[in-house]
Amino acid sequence: MPDYNKLTPALAEKLRAIVGERRFFCGDAVKEDYSHDEMPIYGRTMPEAVCQVETTEEVSEIMKLCSAERIPVTVRGAGTGLVGGCVPIHGGIVVTTEKMNKILSYDMKNLVVHTQPGVLLCDLAADALAHGLMYPPDPGEKTATVGGNVSTNAGGMRAVKYGVTRDYVLAMTVVLPDGRIMKLGKTVCKTSSGYSLLHLMIGSEGTLGIITELTLKLVPKPIMDVSLILPFANIADAIASVPSIKLANLDPQSIEFMERDIVDSSAAFTGNGVFPTVVNGKEAGAYILVTLVGDSEAQLTEKMDRLGAVAEQVGAYDVLVVWTDNLKKDVWAARSAFLTVIEAETKLLDEMDVVVPVDRIAEFLVYTHDEAEKQGVYVRSFGHAGDGNLHIYCCSNDLEEDEFKRRVKRLMDACYAKCTEFEGQVSGEHSIGHAKKEYLRESVGETAYGLMGAIKDVFDPGHILNPGKVCHTV
Amino acid sequence: MNKNDYRDMWVFIEHDGETIQPVSLELCCEIRKIADAAGEKLVAVVVGTLPESETEKLMETGVDVILRVSGTGYGYFNVDAYANLFTVLCRKYLPTAVFVGGTINGRDFAPRFACRLPTGCTSDATELVWDPKTTDIEFIEPAVGGKMMAVITVPVMRPQVGTIRPGTFKYVPTGKRPCSVIEETVDFPEAEIRTRVLDFKADDFDESLNIADADVIVCVGNAVKVDSLPKYRELAALLGGKLGCTRPVFDRGVLPFKLVIGQSGVVVKPKLYLSFGVSGAVNHVTGMQDSGCIVAVNKDPDAAIFKYCDYGIVGDMDEVCEQMLRHLRR
Amino acid sequence: MLNILVCVKQVPDVNLVKIDPVTGSLIRKGVPAILNPLDANALEAAVQTKEQYGGTVTCITMGPDQAAEALRECLAAGADKAILLSDRAFANADTLATSYVITSAAKLFGSFDLIFCGKESLDGATGQMGSQLAERFDASQLSSMSLLLAVDEAGKTVTAERELEKGVETAEAKLPCLFTVEKTNYRPRIPNLKSWKASRTAEITTLNSLSIPGLDPAQIGDPGSPTKVPRTYPPVVGESGHMIDEGSTEKNVDTLFELIADVL
Repeated sequence: MPDYNKLTPALAEKLRAIVGERRFFCGDAVKEDYSHDEMPIYGRTMPEAVCQVETTEEVSEIMKLCSAERIPVTVRGAGTGLVGGCVPIHGGIVVTTEKMNKILSYDMKNLVVHTQPGVLLCDLAADALAHGLMYPPDPGEKTATVGGNVSTNAGGMRAVKYGVTRDYVLAMTVVLPDGRIMKLGKTVCKTSSGYSLLHLMIGSEGTLGIITELTLKLVPKPIMDVSLILPFANIADAIASVPSIKLANLDPQSIEFMERDIVDSSAAFTGNGVFPTVVNGKEAGAYILVTLVGDSEAQLTEKMDRLGAVAEQVGAYDVLVVWTDNLKKDVWAARSAFLTVIEAETKLLDEMDVVVPVDRIAEFLVYTHDEAEKQGVYVRSFGHAGDGNLHIYCCSNDLEEDEFKRRVKRLMDACYAKCTEFEGQVSGEHSIGHAKKEYLRESVGETAYGLMGAIKDVFDPGHILNPGKVCHTV
Repeated sequence: MNKNDYRDMWVFIEHDGETIQPVSLELCCEIRKIADAAGEKLVAVVVGTLPESETEKLMETGVDVILRVSGTGYGYFNVDAYANLFTVLCRKYLPTAVFVGGTINGRDFAPRFACRLPTGCTSDATELVWDPKTTDIEFIEPAVGGKMMAVITVPVMRPQVGTIRPGTFKYVPTGKRPCSVIEETVDFPEAEIRTRVLDFKADDFDESLNIADADVIVCVGNAVKVDSLPKYRELAALLGGKLGCTRPVFDRGVLPFKLVIGQSGVVVKPKLYLSFGVSGAVNHVTGMQDSGCIVAVNKDPDAAIFKYCDYGIVGDMDEVCEQMLRHLRR
Repeated sequence: MLNILVCVKQVPDVNLVKIDPVTGSLIRKGVPAILNPLDANALEAAVQTKEQYGGTVTCITMGPDQAAEALRECLAAGADKAILLSDRAFANADTLATSYVITSAAKLFGSFDLIFCGKESLDGATGQMGSQLAERFDASQLSSMSLLLAVDEAGKTVTAERELEKGVETAEAKLPCLFTVEKTNYRPRIPNLKSWKASRTAEITTLNSLSIPGLDPAQIGDPGSPTKVPRTYPPVVGESGHMIDEGSTEKNVDTLFELIADVL
């Protein structure tokens, strides 16, 4: 049904009337930022107009109008995505939730927070901590919006212990493509009540409805935590340690892996060289970073002892204890800078966010590196060793764009095929957008892909919401 | 100790034989006012000889007395000789206060002779007030990371010793007054000097790190993202200015110390000062409040910086910076 | 064998201290106490020196009982001994009284060849302790020390680089020598599990005013402090500047450039 209409001046005026002069932009007034996310290699498309919405009712009015007039609508949070999910590839308007950035209220008895979708993850996390609570999902991109996190079912570092964003969404308000407002879910933790439309919405990347309010589950903030760095000779040794660490009954909050080369770059870029490069006289080639939580120092010490025993068996050079606030700040700042560093050091970037079974991470990385060498692509990686979620970045360095894209395509075709062979997933937390559609299709198969398309049809018969994404092709 | 036995306010004139450190002249100008309020003399303590023109400059600040010291041990700066010298001089002349520029040298020897006398020593005051009731000097300075102002006094002991950061006070000479010269000889045996300079390698002069005299400064606060820095550098370049930062940005290891603006860094007075994501803690504000025009951009409408600015914009710092870049490229 | 002393301080993380909007007083509750960050650099310099030349590193602090935590941090990162000076009578001390107590106590543990200090504390930030400790130890002093080049135990001298305003100086000093340390080359190490665990149960020698023989009560705590803080007040802030709010960033920026046109 690719018969979308262009935004006419008359329609623009109607949109302007809905959100008001100050929050409506069209034509030249639209900022270039709205044409891409953080992975501009997948192309840029300027929206015909941008509405900075503030209320559910505004969104509803916009959807009614755009449904009737067949104008595509793409919802956008902070634009920190990596698969082109918020890029209006078929034109139309962008509805941005950046002004819906208020944390509405806490229900301290039921440990939930009501929030607008445009609140930044870092702001929610800090605010929850100030209330003595923790919002467990901890994706690396702290300036993403929570709405964006829910739409992509973001994971992050703490997923190995706490699960992913999906596990913390209790309820939401959604505006359907025709403008109807719907409340999904309740402020309770159990439900056995029909198909879960709530869970269909989570991870649907703005293709089924627009989330305008969220009720999220919180947990009491852990009493104590400690991070431990295990340096290894090389990445294979580092990854090989993960199953043993997981078996040691430590209930770790996160298990991250990082290669030496990215640690060096991060140190050079931020001036923060907190990770030791020579440990007990030996050059470290890779690191595992484990975070443990506990109720007391005695309990944590006992866990650290067990981790120490495992570390010795698996050939870690040492176990370094990040105990003080000063060191924690430095270590996590260095870790958080990885993507920034990679972006800064290359002209063009493409990425894979695959998930493979934990026992096959090392094999997959070796395969990827071999294949990358064959194709002549410079690859850097880090990620969540605890749950098998790998972030693999392909850097162009001096390659011309076309040549880079050709090489990356060949590399990715091979890697995603290997991922499917390993019973892995195309994306752990960055989603599909329009960049990974074909790989999703190959991975899940025609039947499942077809069902996804059918579900899209039911929610959005006019195909006006975020067209061309996930399972939809115009 | 009887406070009334003490008289006159001293300023240590730090120089290299050719020029006087600006901070020493700034101090003379400021202490001139305090000394007048207290009805005391302003004494400049000069070790070694100064060129005629520099002595002239010094007298223009209105000093009443030049205490000229000669002797052994002062060939190069060393803590031993200078700490001894001020101990000897203070015991002989009983000044009410001794002010020393907060250079590395000044901060080395001033607390040391204060300890030896002993007396109280303060550092980094940003305002000085003479209290006629107590006859004490109030050393006022930002405390606790600039969240409070603290008044510090030395109510019993004399002299009151203070080191003051370069740039804290303005160099506004009020003109010559009748000036007498006292010659003193204090020898310090060279064999007793415990430090020796073996080598000195001047830093490669990096103009971008020299922000003290810039006409335009773009200052980034702790909210700055590392990957956004190039934008601010570009903005500074397009405006013909330089990039600066607040102390926490240095603490994070993001920018060098020489770019830190504030009480513990450089004091700047550009024609235009643009801050992005700067909260407005006093210890930063004291380093930039004399700027010609202050513009503040911060996402928090309640940020203290808006109280100090001429123009404020509430908004995302990166977004505003990018828009300014677009505007300037047009 | 070098006898090395490191003087440290536990400080509130002042970046996290807030002001009560009603009373105007500091809210210290919930603000973590940390080892003064620059002291960690001093410790690292001391431990590296010990590793190269042999010797023992003793760390010392004056503070409440909780300051033992800062000492454990030092022990984990390579210090051999820790001394805590804790007494209500030490409270409200300025640098003069603090340096008196620290040197009086440290002298009970022998004479030190090298003394390392941070450049300044996060909270008081006077930067005077180094000089005053050097005075009381009757030591030479090299401030802003960025790299210790050599210790000549026989000749009783030390050579080091200092980061000065306009360049790097190489200086020689006689022992005993006190350094205030730049962070440039001395990033604090992360302790390994073994030393961290040892630090958690290590003995910390705790002294009070009565267990330091000959300590003059007139020179400690408030009575021994010539500087006083008669009052504090919230920073005086003026009226808000002219706020530009034209509805969009683009318009705001345009307006701003009009307003500052005469400055540019």
